[in-house]
Amino acid sequence: MPTILINPLNESQREPRKAATKLSTLQGKTIGLLDISKPGGNYFLDHVERLLKAQYGVANVIRAMKPTFTKPAPAAVIEQLVNARCDAVIEALAD
Amino acid sequence: MLQAGERAPDFLLRAIDGTEHQLANEPTLLVFFETDCPTCLLTLPYLNKLAARLPEAAISGISQDDEAATKALAEQLQIRFPVLLDRDWKVSEQYAPVAVPTLFLLDGQGQIVHTQIAFDKAELNAMTAALCAMMGQEVFVLAEPFDGNPATKPGCTSRHLEPRTEGEMAAALNPYAQRGARASHLELSEDVDAEEYCLRFDPLPVLPPTLARVERMLNASTLAPDEVIALVPPNYGQATVEKIAANAVMAGCAPELMRVLIPLIRAVCDERYNIHGVQATTHFAAPLVIVNGPIRHELGFVSGSNVFSNVARANSTLGRALQLILTNIGGARPGEIDMSTLGNAGKFAQVIAENEEENPWEPLHVEHGFAREQSTLTLFAAEPPRGVSEHNARHGRTILKAISRALATIWTYRICLMFEAFVILCPEHVKTLQRDGFTKQSARDFLFENTGIPLHHYSDGDGEGVQYQHLFEQVTIDGESCYRKFARPEQIHIVVAGGTAGKFSAVLGSWATGPRGSQVVTYPIE
Repeated sequence: MPTILINPLNESQREPRKAATKLSTLQGKTIGLLDISKPGGNYFLDHVERLLKAQYGVANVIRAMKPTFTKPAPAAVIEQLVNARCDAVIEALAD
Repeated sequence: MLQAGERAPDFLLRAIDGTEHQLANEPTLLVFFETDCPTCLLTLPYLNKLAARLPEAAISGISQDDEAATKALAEQLQIRFPVLLDRDWKVSEQYAPVAVPTLFLLDGQGQIVHTQIAFDKAELNAMTAALCAMMGQEVFVLAEPFDGNPATKPGCTSRHLEPRTEGEMAAALNPYAQRGARASHLELSEDVDAEEYCLRFDPLPVLPPTLARVERMLNASTLAPDEVIALVPPNYGQATVEKIAANAVMAGCAPELMRVLIPLIRAVCDERYNIHGVQATTHFAAPLVIVNGPIRHELGFVSGSNVFSNVARANSTLGRALQLILTNIGGARPGEIDMSTLGNAGKFAQVIAENEEENPWEPLHVEHGFAREQSTLTLFAAEPPRGVSEHNARHGRTILKAISRALATIWTYRICLMFEAFVILCPEHVKTLQRDGFTKQSARDFLFENTGIPLHHYSDGDGEGVQYQHLFEQVTIDGESCYRKFARPEQIHIVVAGGTAGKFSAVLGSWATGPRGSQVVTYPIE
């Protein structure tokens, strides 16, 4: 007789997400920088912001910050980046 | 459950006065009830009032309990309409109410015109109006809005849906719980070894979760298999009672352990505990479960010698079931989403019980506001334990000094204020502390006052903690200038555990704490 097991794994269905289209240029774009609020994140992102503007012609840099690195970004933080109409967002880890 | 528009099945039931009753060819109100359901006790007096206002109305109570209990209730509430006995739930199964009380209003032709589950004043009034209209009587308000009773109250599970014998599981036990999907079945052909197959669920061998084993586990719980206990981060998988039971089987849990496992899964998914972060961090953090109260003896949790080891089925299988659920349902499998740098041996299983019998002070759960007789579980996101050996100290304060030196190095030696710790005091150490007059609070205060980082360490060069130096509080400990390690004495938690021989205590540091990290949570075990 075949053995029947109860599936112990998560079976919740998740909507597949498509990756965002890659930008062909950074020239004149609006780039969001999300600081996950780890120590040192601001130094790193300050430097990235300078590079984006000076070397790649990025028009605007939008800075956002998670209240804590230990939890997913709250909706308000994501909305802030969405409302700023960023062409791309870079999430920064640090330490 | 039968709905309005459907035909009401006829029945022949005996009433508590010995008379036999069946459906009459007149408008009829049936109420299914239990004698110990608070919502039934709330509803029945209104129906008494209805019977008083409409003496001609055919109202029948259908009790799902035995004759003695039903008679006692009928007498207590002075029920004036016939009360019928459906002790074998034959009629309940036909009408299939999901909860009690459930009311069915039938017209004179035996058709259901209105149903009502639980207590709801507006519904009661609507049903009264419908009954009055069918009987050609003047409509009146049965349930006044401000009569001292709530507008609505949820009911209890209908008796016929409760589990009865092994293998016969109720389909729905709590009609108000969130429902998830039932687990799929994995059919293994005869040439597949079930134990080998299950190695895909965990690197260590597990007991295959067969239908019979999972059913035994489900029968030990009063909850419905599809009831969602929690969504387990970071994948937010649905931890239904059935999925929990399947993983509990794999861990080798005794069915009685479901009593602890259900509140444990609720606790671990408590937003304050932040298992999302605990599972996703590169830090060592692993859940430490501490069991308190009578459940320790009822289910065989060990609190003495080898408490952190593979010492008892209850400790080991509860911890292992938790880890299997976190990986199989939550998705944080080590090496995949869980990318901890070094990991933690506690991720095999880490459940200890407090040795309350050797604790001269109040145990952890009493400190957290629970009665001593209340069983609880407490969760802490812990670094691996570090031993504090002290065999030669003659005085309690010397033991506490040794512990304070270990506390000074949690997370890393130069970081202060941001972390918590559990101190696991062994019985011999706590005995000396008590003899020297320490209370739990004074021992904690001593550790708080005497745990510091000498200022000269901050000239070792840049490093973790140095950047926050301006936030630290400078104090003098034993004549030496130090920064205080902890922000508050409450960051030091004290538990007594371990065997009565040996002077070995332990300290476990935390992961990120407070609202921005993981907070200690304590849940009752019923």
